[in-house]
Amino acid sequence: MAADAGSSPLQLPCVFSPKSRQYLALCAQDGRLRIWNTDSKTLHQEYVPSAHLSATCTCIAWGPCRTVKEGPQRKKRKSEAVQVEEKPDLLAMGTAAGTVLIYSTAKGALHCTLDGGHSGGVNCVQWHPEDSLLYSGSDDTNIIEWDLQTGKMRSKWKADRAAVTSLCVSHDGKLLLSAGQVIKMWDLDTKEVYRKFTGHSTAVTTLRFATTRPPDSNGLYFLSGAAHDRLLSVWQVRQDGKDKNSVVSFTLTDEPRHIDLVTSNSKEEAVRLSVVCKDGQLHLFEHFLNGPCKKPLSPLCSVQMSDTKDSPVPIPLLAAALGADTRNVLLAYGNHLQPVMERVEINTAERHVCLTRDVQTNLSISMETAVSKVKTPIVSTKSRVLVPGLPGHQAPVKGMSQGSEKRKKDTDTKEVRILLMKGAPKGTATLQTDNFAVLLVQGLESNDANILNKVFQTRKEVVIKKTVARLPLPAVLPLVEEVTHTFVPSYRAVLMVRWLKAVLMHHTSYLASLPDLVTQLGVLYHMIESRVKMFHKLTKLHGKLYLLMTQVGIIVYRKYLQYFFLSVFFNRPDSAVLEV
Amino acid sequence: MVEHGDIRVVHRGGSKINFREPVITNDSSFLLCASGECVKVFSTSTEECIHDLRGHTDLVTGVLLKPSNHLQVYSCSADGTVRLWDFTDGILIKTYVIGYPIYSIYASPDHEGIIFIVTPMLSDKRSELFQLVAVHLPQSGDQLVEARELSAVLSDVSSNPAAITIGRGGEYFASAKGLQLEVYFFRKQKSYRFSLKEGNKKGGRNTFTCVACHPKDDCIATGHEDGKIRLWRNFNHKKEYTYTTLHWHHSAVSSLRFTPEGTNLLSGGVESVLVQWRYNQESQRDFLPRLGAAITHITISPDGALFCTSHSDNKITIIQSCVKVSAVIQGLVKGESVRTDLMVDPRSKAMVLNGKPGHLQFYSLQRDKLLYNLDIVQQEYIHESGLQQFEVVKAAFDASGNWLATVEERKQKAAELELNLKLWEFDEQTQSFVLNTTISAPHEAQITAMCFCHAADSQTTMLVSTSKDGHFKAWQLATPARTEDEGPSWSCDFVGAYHGLVPKCCCFSADGSLLAVSFQEVVTVWSPSSWELLTTLSQPPGAIRDLCFGRLSCSKYLLGTTASNLLCCWNLLTCSLEWSTSMDTSLLLADPFSENMAAFCCQAGCTDLFVFKPSEPRPLFSHKAVCSGKVTRAVFAPREDMLESCEESSQWLNCSQLYFLTQYMDLMTFITKAEEDRLMASSKQLVIDDSVAMTPFYLLLGKHRQQQQENQDTLSTLSAERTPLPQGSVAIKELLQTPAHVLPSTSFLCSMFVQSLLISVTDSREESKHAEEEMESEKEEEDSEGEMESSTSRPREASLAGHATETAALALTKAQARELRRVKKLDHSWLSGLLDS
Repeated sequence: MAADAGSSPLQLPCVFSPKSRQYLALCAQDGRLRIWNTDSKTLHQEYVPSAHLSATCTCIAWGPCRTVKEGPQRKKRKSEAVQVEEKPDLLAMGTAAGTVLIYSTAKGALHCTLDGGHSGGVNCVQWHPEDSLLYSGSDDTNIIEWDLQTGKMRSKWKADRAAVTSLCVSHDGKLLLSAGQVIKMWDLDTKEVYRKFTGHSTAVTTLRFATTRPPDSNGLYFLSGAAHDRLLSVWQVRQDGKDKNSVVSFTLTDEPRHIDLVTSNSKEEAVRLSVVCKDGQLHLFEHFLNGPCKKPLSPLCSVQMSDTKDSPVPIPLLAAALGADTRNVLLAYGNHLQPVMERVEINTAERHVCLTRDVQTNLSISMETAVSKVKTPIVSTKSRVLVPGLPGHQAPVKGMSQGSEKRKKDTDTKEVRILLMKGAPKGTATLQTDNFAVLLVQGLESNDANILNKVFQTRKEVVIKKTVARLPLPAVLPLVEEVTHTFVPSYRAVLMVRWLKAVLMHHTSYLASLPDLVTQLGVLYHMIESRVKMFHKLTKLHGKLYLLMTQVGIIVYRKYLQYFFLSVFFNRPDSAVLEV
Repeated sequence: MVEHGDIRVVHRGGSKINFREPVITNDSSFLLCASGECVKVFSTSTEECIHDLRGHTDLVTGVLLKPSNHLQVYSCSADGTVRLWDFTDGILIKTYVIGYPIYSIYASPDHEGIIFIVTPMLSDKRSELFQLVAVHLPQSGDQLVEARELSAVLSDVSSNPAAITIGRGGEYFASAKGLQLEVYFFRKQKSYRFSLKEGNKKGGRNTFTCVACHPKDDCIATGHEDGKIRLWRNFNHKKEYTYTTLHWHHSAVSSLRFTPEGTNLLSGGVESVLVQWRYNQESQRDFLPRLGAAITHITISPDGALFCTSHSDNKITIIQSCVKVSAVIQGLVKGESVRTDLMVDPRSKAMVLNGKPGHLQFYSLQRDKLLYNLDIVQQEYIHESGLQQFEVVKAAFDASGNWLATVEERKQKAAELELNLKLWEFDEQTQSFVLNTTISAPHEAQITAMCFCHAADSQTTMLVSTSKDGHFKAWQLATPARTEDEGPSWSCDFVGAYHGLVPKCCCFSADGSLLAVSFQEVVTVWSPSSWELLTTLSQPPGAIRDLCFGRLSCSKYLLGTTASNLLCCWNLLTCSLEWSTSMDTSLLLADPFSENMAAFCCQAGCTDLFVFKPSEPRPLFSHKAVCSGKVTRAVFAPREDMLESCEESSQWLNCSQLYFLTQYMDLMTFITKAEEDRLMASSKQLVIDDSVAMTPFYLLLGKHRQQQQENQDTLSTLSAERTPLPQGSVAIKELLQTPAHVLPSTSFLCSMFVQSLLISVTDSREESKHAEEEMESEKEEEDSEGEMESSTSRPREASLAGHATETAALALTKAQARELRRVKKLDHSWLSGLLDS
């Protein structure tokens, strides 16, 4: 599904709300309008136009932000709230049937419909930045100016010989660009053609003003992109009117689908541009618009996205919006029915960035949150659990003085030890597998869990003692280490305690001679200490339980009591400590 | 110190929306609720706040739809006024000045021009006794009206609005207080009192908590502290009253409501289950469980289609027909207190603090909206009062937002303290936090402070936690030595202590090279790389409350506040006290984006704010009486777009914004004049006519009408006027707007309908008027006469209908039109005949 979204023949409208990019409006293949919240990454609203299948939505434009209305008699009290940040509210949708729907996201309902204007499908809608006017361009070659206060058509004019595919209103609201066969610039006061530009050979899909400078200053630029065209052209509105051809072009990998740009207000400011192409790639450009530039410009940075499978499949990007900071980009990716939104910081120093994302889990998390507003972070079995007594819970014990030097020595002794160990078995070289001591040494050397397990399973006190006594000295420390690690799971502690006891009985002198004794046995010490910490309480509990049991025993059958008592006693995990 | 007039403290949200019962408008599209000093209007479908109704100067204590006009709403407030609003446009219509603080408001359609309010006993305003007063609202055209016509109805009532209710048809008032239920009858001017015993032998507590009256029947439902619901009947007698008891709730019933038709009774309480009882078949119950938090109020829309429940976690849930939760309006979650510090998530720039029990909440400061709650504890929360359950008490983010550390704690009365330190890693691929390490019992006593090392370029990530057990521990991310399979996890690197004193707070310097830990009155400075104690600083007496390292150009300074009202600044190069000043600082905060520091000082019940640079003797900014009460939580949040203010006093607000929580958990911030002006300038209301709610019916009619229009007038100017909609015709309006179940049969309507589609030749106006009258009379006929007449007329009508539909589709010829008119005339005579009979 994800794949077909990227290569669908018709362009599905997908627009971020202005200013703070709080919402993403998206019209998916099923004809429904969905509005996604980019903060919580959840579905905010869904709207089904009554004729969503016959008159599909072809274009979307967010209106200027709604603000809280000010009362006329407004006193400024101390803690009175400022009007809250302007919220995006109205959304204009052009349909294939030629109507324009105005939808209110605050109310979650259709605000009004503008119809009776176009005889062909609407290709583009644009809001006037200040007045409540809306412009729509249609297949019937006309442009209509709607007055939204009355909901009526204010003027309608034939713009081109071919269908009007794209429109753009300038930032001051005085000029309008329209694209048909050629690109025309209209003066909105007189509705007369101000300039004409050659345009593209295919249908123009996007038009954007790139600068906010006045048209007679040689500094007004706009850009255009067309279907099946892997270039974005920049046009300059020049004073002398000799502006037939494009001045700059940006190269893309496919036809542009979604464009966001930060306009420049002066010559010193660069235009920043993000273009999402049909192939799902994002290209970021930054350019100082200042006269013509012969070479087509290549992107500053290209971003691709892939999933986490073994053979990565690209995830198509749907839209991208530039943040205030150069590197911050708000991305929407995945498929149109369930896009995933994310604010990413892109390292623009690299020419090509590939992000890997797990869309499946992303989606499942966001869908849950939509209703309950609760997000559950992922808790996998991989996460580590530290309980008191495990190494890492307490600080590693270091020698009393000169900790760093001690550590070096420690590594030295290890090396020596390994050498010793390598030497010793080679000398004897008798493979007596029935001898536990030899088996243990072999196990310790090869770190073979099976052998060690077999050895450690012994419960006979005598055997353990003998084995430890026969152990060559260099193998003592590895044994202690091994014992420490197998100590961790508490069910083996009972067995390991015996081994430890035997080691301490036979090799105390050797251990005491070690220079880094504290470091070696520190972990073991912490472990035992934390286990013994509960000993006092456990004995108390034991005593109480014992009393209780004897009292119960008077009433209950003796046999049952015994069974119960035994089971309570032996199932306790810390019984090993009691024996120590 | 100069007060700077151009920076104001403004309320930024976070106020309670569950303080009083919300109101759903008649068309079920809006929900109004009291929130702080304003009334918020929410859309029930989108959860969006449409607008605020502002004007009250104190807490709003009640919202009520005006019974005689469903587009207006009353709100009452502790400032002693009742205001009337038009909530669709958010306009204040009238202000009635009562002069006494008001705690709740009631009205009934049967008492025209009168509202009932609860005020303190008139004798003294501070008393704990309340009375119910009837206020006659004067009819006057002025905006500001004094309402002085007060008459007491009931004295000694509860100030809880749920404990008073108005009865069926406005005949009586039921009021519960303590163990007594009082019913006052207006007609008889007499009240009856019913008392319950303190508690029966089973330990039940009979105290009343809430009251509801049946809308059609003489029945009062009361909720009790022990979870029982009693249905009182026959209460217009002193002795022969009866009650039945329903019992499902295990703890106090906090809200009771009858549905508008009186068929169901809804109740809710701590269990967070909405219980729906069938009236008269009380054994049948429906439940809507798992609503998230204790229910505090229940509201039912006037048409009975929507229920909405307010919850103790500052949430309003909108429920469709007792089955489906359709929307959740969630404010800033407020538990008993804010346990964690306020933080800003570096990734989402949301404010983070503890939310629902066991959760961290992410709150968007820009939009005053809760984004989500992050479930940290991941244990089922048991909705029962008095249980000790795990709560998130500390949390910290590292500088990049990659790591989140949380401490959860459960303290039971007698038993051991249970502590868990969890370290979460943000996973880019799944865009979610993933648990990396859980450390159970990281310390033996409560953790007092926790902070990450904020150095941007350090290879190792480090976290320091200080505890009441006298130790501080440094945790470090490291790859485990033996286990090969797993990635890096956290382990303890160092345990530090200082003379057995209890550490209170810790702080890393900006470059991460120094760690300061305060042990009562001593500040110890450690080097995290070698864990050497570098120096100690102290300024006795008084334990250290807060510690902050200076940043950027002031990074050589360490600032601390002590319990003995001293703000000290140490120079770390000379290890000596640079300066100190005497002020009772409740909170010291460093701006992470500049070298500025903010100190909130408590003085005479008010909090003052000072913003200063550690290197400069004069504060950059000071603001007296920021708010009443102590400020203990505040945060500097980064701005999305920088301000470019050159004025010295407001420069500190250029790249970050200071937010703080007041005693009452209101979120406040500072705003400069310039910023406000900028916002004002850009705030333009977009006025757009909202004409139609488009229906399939409209599409059908609209198209037909349009074609007709085009046929009629062939002039097609470019500036075409909008075609008059068919809704304009009276007949169609009647047809579309009358509810379906009161409409006469289709055969009746058909002629009318067809007629409305006819091409008007001369006097279409009159005809349509005719049609209207006709239809009305027809309807009356239907209602009164019943089936008989209509059955006789039906065949004729039917044939007519068939005929009409055929012709309507085609363009009507003159002859056909005449024919139709003739038929209509026939109709008339038939009707007049009926009317005569």
